[in-house]
Parts: sequence; C-alpha cells; structure tokens
Amino acid sequence: MAFFVARRLLYLVPVLIAVSLLTFSIASLLPGDLAYTILGDQATPENVAALRRDMGLDQPIWWRYLSWLGGVLQGDFGRSFRTGQTVLQAVTERLPVSIELMLLAQLGALGIGVPLAIVCAARSGGPFDRFMTGTAFGMLSVPTFLSAILLIYFFAVELRWLPATGYVPFGEDPAANLRFMVLPALTLALAEWPSIMRVLRSDMIATLQEDYISLAKAKGLKASRILFVHALKPSSLTLVTITGINIGRLIGGAVIVETIFALPGIGRLLIGAILTRDLIILQGVVLLVGAGFVIMNFIVDMLYAVLDPRIRHGHA
Amino acid sequence: MKAAIRSSALARIFLVAGFGVALSAMPASAQKAGGSITVGLELDIPGFDVLKVGVYDTAALTASSALFDTLTYLDDNGKPQPKLALSWEPSEDFKMWTFKLRPGVKFHDGTPFNAEAFKANFDRQKDPANKCRCAFYISNVNDVQAPDELTLVYNLNDPSVNFPSLVSYASQTNAIHSPTAWKTKGDEYNRNPVGTGPYILKSWTAGDRMILEKNPDYWDKDKIYFDRITLKPLPDAQSRFASLQSGEVDLIWDDEYSADNIQKAQKDSKLTVHTYAGSGAQVYAFNTKVAPFDDIRVRQALVMALDRKKMSQAITNGLSKPASNPYGDGSWVKCKDDGALPEDLEKAKALIKDYGKPVEFKMLVTATPRGRMVGQVLQQLWKRAGANMEIEQVDQATIPPRAFMRQFQLTPWRIVDLADPDIQMYSNFKTGSPVALANYSNPELDRLLDHARTTADTNKRIDDYCAISRLINKEAIWFWTFQNTYYAISTAKLKGLPKMYSGKIDVSRAWKE
Repeated sequence: MAFFVARRLLYLVPVLIAVSLLTFSIASLLPGDLAYTILGDQATPENVAALRRDMGLDQPIWWRYLSWLGGVLQGDFGRSFRTGQTVLQAVTERLPVSIELMLLAQLGALGIGVPLAIVCAARSGGPFDRFMTGTAFGMLSVPTFLSAILLIYFFAVELRWLPATGYVPFGEDPAANLRFMVLPALTLALAEWPSIMRVLRSDMIATLQEDYISLAKAKGLKASRILFVHALKPSSLTLVTITGINIGRLIGGAVIVETIFALPGIGRLLIGAILTRDLIILQGVVLLVGAGFVIMNFIVDMLYAVLDPRIRHGHA
Repeated sequence: MKAAIRSSALARIFLVAGFGVALSAMPASAQKAGGSITVGLELDIPGFDVLKVGVYDTAALTASSALFDTLTYLDDNGKPQPKLALSWEPSEDFKMWTFKLRPGVKFHDGTPFNAEAFKANFDRQKDPANKCRCAFYISNVNDVQAPDELTLVYNLNDPSVNFPSLVSYASQTNAIHSPTAWKTKGDEYNRNPVGTGPYILKSWTAGDRMILEKNPDYWDKDKIYFDRITLKPLPDAQSRFASLQSGEVDLIWDDEYSADNIQKAQKDSKLTVHTYAGSGAQVYAFNTKVAPFDDIRVRQALVMALDRKKMSQAITNGLSKPASNPYGDGSWVKCKDDGALPEDLEKAKALIKDYGKPVEFKMLVTATPRGRMVGQVLQQLWKRAGANMEIEQVDQATIPPRAFMRQFQLTPWRIVDLADPDIQMYSNFKTGSPVALANYSNPELDRLLDHARTTADTNKRIDDYCAISRLINKEAIWFWTFQNTYYAISTAKLKGLPKMYSGKIDVSRAWKE
C-alpha cells in the first residue's frame, strides 16, 4: 500500500505543474492590460509603461511564470492589487464556506441518490424504478441557476421558511448557519443526485444477479440485509469514482450557487476576481482550487484501492 | 473672461453658503430614531484606500457616504450645502477657491479634522510616487494649501465656477480619511477605513457583510436615525430582489437591465421604487477622421436611423429614457432647443444614398451580454437604413486605450453625472483634449466651451451649453441614446432617502416608519 501511495504521489507532481502552467497562461492570455486595470481608464501611456516595468509585465511570459512559480513554492501567491489582501488570506477566509457548502451538497446528493438507487435496484423494471429513472434523467437537464431561483421563490419569497441570501459562520450560530446553507446545498444536491442514483442503481442491479446473492437469498437472509450488507459495498466502486468527479462539478456549481445565494465562498471570490480583472487573485485561486481538485482525486483513488484491493496490485 | 470677472462678485453672494443649513429638508415629526437597515448591494466592496481601489463604484459609494464626510453635499435642488466646509468663496478668475472648515470635528480614531488633515489627503493622492488611479480626477487641481487650521485653499489649473458642487460627491477623491489611520495601518488600512462620517465601521466579513454603527460623537448626530447599517453584497439581481420581497433586506440597488423587477416593484404597494434620472448620458463617438465617418452625411444618417423607443423596448422593457443631448433630466442645463436630429428613417436612407458608396464600418462593444445586446440592436436599426455595421467585441478595459489612441471607427462612451457639465464637456469636445474622441475641431465649439467655464451667470452658461448641444447634434460627431437613470427599491417603510446623484445610494440620514 505504501508503495502504491508513493507512486501515486509521484504522479501528482507533473499534474500540479501542468495545472500551474495552465492557470498562469489562462490568466495571462485574458484580454485587457493589467497595468491599465490597476491605473484606471484615464491612465497616461507613460504611467502604464512605468507600471508595466515595475511589475515585470514587459518581461517574456516564461520569465514571469518562473518568478510567479518561485513565489508560489515559497508560499507567496501574491497580493490583490485592489484590496491589498494576500491570496492566501483571501482564500483561507472564504474556504470554510465553500467546503461546508460542498460537503452538505455531497451529503444531500448521497442522501437522496443512494436510498433511491437501492430501492430502484431492488424493484428494477417496476413502476417506481421507471418513474425515478425518468425523473433523474429530467433533473440532469435542469440548470443549477434555474433550480436555485425556483427554490428561492418557493421557500424564501412564498413560504418564507428559509432566507434567500446571506450567511452566518457556523462557529457564530450553528442553527442560523444551517438555515442559510439549506437552499444552496439543496440546489447543488439536486444537480448531483441523478448521476449518483443512476450509477449505483445499475451497479447494484448487476451485483444482485451475482451467484453469491442468489446463495444469500436461498439461505433465507432478509432482503434488507442482502441489499445493505452484501450488495452495497461491491456496488459502490463506480459511485466513489463518480463522487470524486462530482467534486469538480460541485466547484463549478458552487461558483453559480455562491453568487445567487450571496455566500462568501471561493466561487464568489473567483467571480469577483474575473469581473475586476484581479489577475493575481484569479491565478492564485484557480491554482489552489485546481490543486485541491487534483488532491481530492488522489484521495478518491486511495479510497478506491481500499474498497477493492485488486486495484492497488494493478490487477484491475 | 472679462464678463466672468464682472459677474464674480454677484456669484460670491450666491455661492457662499450660510452657516448651519439643515442637512435634511424632511419634516421633523416624521423622522423616527433607532432600528437598523440592511442594504443589498450589487457588488463586493474592495476597500476604501483610494491608492488601492481607485474609483469607488456604486456599492463603495453607499458605504463611503456613511463612513466619510465631504466638504459639501448637494441638496434636493442640486445646490451645494455645507458639510465639513461651512462656507466658500472663489477668486475673481475662479481658479482659486477658499473653504472655511467646520471646527471641532474629529475622525473616528480621535484625530482632529482640520485643514492640515485635508491637505494630507489631497497630497497623498497627488503624489506621483503613489500612482493613484484617482490622478486623472484631480488633474485640474494644482495644489491644496492649508494657511490656517480651518482654512483650505484649492488652486485650480483652469477656472471652475461651480467647484463647491464638484467636491460634494463621496467619491475616492472627496472622501476625507484620517491620516493617522492610513499611516499606522499601512496595507491594512484599505479594509479598516476611518473617516469623520455619521457611521463607524464595526465589522466587515469579506464578501458577506459590512456592519456600520452610529457615530455617537458625530457633529450632526441629531439628524442620524438608524443605530446600525448592514451592507450585504448580493450579486445576483433575482435573488437580491427575492431578499427584498422576503424582508431580509430593506433596500436594494437595481438597474434598468433587470427591468422586470423594477416593474414588478412599481405595482407592489409594500415596495417603493426610487428613481433618479441624472445628468449625463450613454453616448457614442464617431471617429470623424476615418471613412465613412469623415462624411457628415453618414454620421447624420446613422443618428437619424436610431429609434430610441424601440431600442429601449428591446433592451430594458422600455425603462430607458431617451436622450437627445448630453445633459439629462437631472442636470440644471435645460434646453428649449438642443438641436436634436429627427428620427427619420427615410431621410437616413436618402443621406446614405447621396453618399454614394457602401457604408461599412466596425463598432466597438464591450464583451458583456449588455454590450452585445446594444450592439445587435444598433446593427439592426442601421441595416434598415442601408448601413452595414460589424460588431467588434472587446474587453471593457480595452475600450479606453483603443479610444485614446483613436483606434476605432465608432465607440461607446459614457458621460458620467457630475454636478456641473463643464469637466465632461470640456474634456470631450475641446480641440486637442485626449478624450475628444471624435477627432473633431471647431473654433466656435472651443469658444463656447471656454465661455461656459469662465462665466458665473448660470443662465448664460445654460445658453452656452445648449448652443454646444446644437452644434454637436448638427455635426453629428457624437450621439446620445439614453439618459443615465438610477434605481433603488426599498420597503415602503423606508423614508428620507435623498436623490441618488450619480447613482449613489446614501442611507446615512434615512429612517424607517
């Protein structure tokens, strides 16, 4: 296992370098001149030239990349030219919100998707299964912003049960925090549960046709025990992969959801950085989020190996 | 200039304001002290240190009007009234303005407010080493002097007859910061602003909320009613409106691009729509030095082919107010005849036919949904007249350099609201100005601009500005589509919101019924 982990860790390095290279070039290729952005619309060409020199913007791109990467490796991701905050300050302030949102969304999606998948698999082909499979298919095509607006309309404006926007930190008031988090997390969960359900359902249907399940049935084990104890674990391999991939989609969804529900998370930071051309924050956040995503997938890989020992020995 | 000098004595009588003019004209009985207000803003506030954030946007202005004071403020008639300055007086040539300051005012950190503190603010912005984004906005000021503790002297490069109005706006260059605070806090000052204003910054969670509390030592504390102001950035227009409907916030910023919400609110008795049609307009400049716009017939044809009513309907459900001159309803410049060309498609077609060559050109638009939409609407309108416009989408930050370098045929621009049209008009139309985007020179236009800026008599200035409008419209070097109109929607219980000059929502003297 240690060898497997070490080898996978080694794979991480080139991936992270690629992420940093992509991040840097995307931010550098964005239209608009950083010096103009900083100095404002009415800057004189001389001022712009002087600032470009000061900031090294007149240097070739590879030089700028290396000096940026050098800073990053020493923990210096740069400082926003608008707010004066360092990237790390800005990210650490916002990260708890996004992590909480994604955790709750993932829990919500699993909470909806897994039980439905089990029930559908147990009664595959039946009316409930057909109905839920159809619903899941339909839900996949509902964009996040639409479900967000509909949830706000029903639960905040019409029923007034939950707040439409805003945030209270968990440490300050846990109950209020959860009230603010329900709708955003539900919005993301609504986008995620169909894939969870569909994948787990088809894997479980396959598992339920295995000989050892027939044996368990023949022994007269209770249906629920067969489903939850004997069938769920072997069926959840693809589910773990999907959950890993979903993290990437959740990050994308969080950008929209945090904007709509006014949550002060990483997604909002990213949107703000794009709108104000705060390239330093943009580069830093994309790099950290990208690295976070790569590392999460690494963890998922590890989990995969725990669930199925054949994987770590390279047999599967 | 002679006329200006003759009339300056009269001007002083009008322009020098008396002591202790009340800051609000509302009846005293209706006002209720206490409680709090939550405001939904459209943007995150990046901070307040002018060296870092440069120009304040509408969200920062709402906070700025509560945290900071300015020398003057504009009353509901658009006249400057005393705030940190008690009175003011121009020199004969209007190039020097002397302000007498309010005594006994302190910043929130206890630093005394005086002429020296004001001068420190100005010098910090003006110092070239600080590379302030605000530099352009104070380029007309040569220096600020503090001859004694309560006297402040502005030395201007050019005459400005309406200068006290221009320092009323709680923007980056007029908000007065505590010198002690920015010196001791350094990089942290940006997010820990200290002013003399009616509210003190209590807490600020990035991207979430800013809490301001009433300043107990404020010099005008009897006119401050809310104990607390909470400012929340709610970037999504739909959820911002939903938050107002569900009662989580009391007031939201809005604009005509979310016309549905404004129109819905107009029909809702629990809500009030606050509207202010400012001065200025959404404008477009032709580059008159390049074909086909070096021919007046083409320029006039495109202006005549505009159908502003249809445009307004297509873009903002009909909310946008058409503009036929650069001044707008909110300006004190009202013209009986602004020389607007008629909207006449047949005449436009005839002019293009007369021109004889195909009219093909590129127009810059911002690469935003709004920019694209406006571009497409114009494209359709001009197609009917026989002109082919190609849309060139560029980043917002690309438009100013392209415009300054005259690398365009037709570009969008904006005439922002200011209390006096002089600064905008002079820089946009005076021969040789870097912002005179049309590349157009006319001695008569230059004469009118010079006369308007050195004449104190408002009626004469109005005549000048209307003559300027007639000339620009006739020559069709720029055209105007819609007036700058600002919106805020609040619960009907909110009272005492002043006019939203330049789109600034100032809740610092409001109250709830």
